[in-house]
Amino acid sequence: MKIKVTYYGQFRDITGLKEEEIEAKDGVTVVELRDQVRDKYAKIAAKEEVLVAINNSFTSLETVVKKDDKVAFFPPVSGG
Amino acid sequence: MIFIQREEADRNAITEMVQRSGSGCVVQFIGVVRDNSEGKEVSNMTVEVYEEMARKQLEDIRAECKAKFGVQEVAIVHRYGEFKVGDELVFIAISAGHRKAAFKACMYFIDELKQRVPIWKKEVNPDGSYWVEGEKRE
Repeated sequence: MKIKVTYYGQFRDITGLKEEEIEAKDGVTVVELRDQVRDKYAKIAAKEEVLVAINNSFTSLETVVKKDDKVAFFPPVSGG
Repeated sequence: MIFIQREEADRNAITEMVQRSGSGCVVQFIGVVRDNSEGKEVSNMTVEVYEEMARKQLEDIRAECKAKFGVQEVAIVHRYGEFKVGDELVFIAISAGHRKAAFKACMYFIDELKQRVPIWKKEVNPDGSYWVEGEKRE
């Protein structure tokens, strides 16, 4: 299935994209999807921490991602 | 009372907005663009936000402040866009019957914001522009 992922912060500069569709297996988990993104972008792989949000919340790495979930990838936040 | 906006906060209006019957104080926090970062001069800053999620996270922190510290009302303005040194980025106002609860809630709010609200800073200095590395989530 195709999962739409959105990038924020520095990850937009690294990928050159605001969003893209990633082909993933049915039942893919957050950690598996994160590994796919790391495999695709070496500069994201090099980051100590890659955050993933599903439907505007941080979630367990074992959560299964569904086709229409809103998936976001970004580096540790630095607001305030 | 969550405001994510480009414009500067109207601090007086927000301070009035959070006052309630029984309020004994309003504690305010103002975060500004510092002129240096890790030993380097900073001239400008860009702030980006994932607004939908930031709003949800800020609402959660606001509710936690009320539940944990018993404060009366909590408001925050977090700006995004282009800034220069000295510009105000963040304004928090918290009302309570007594000061201790309001100070504790204010510290909690800004600490949590820095951990889990999806906002990022990019600083400009004489060598170029750099994304600020956020603190690791615990």
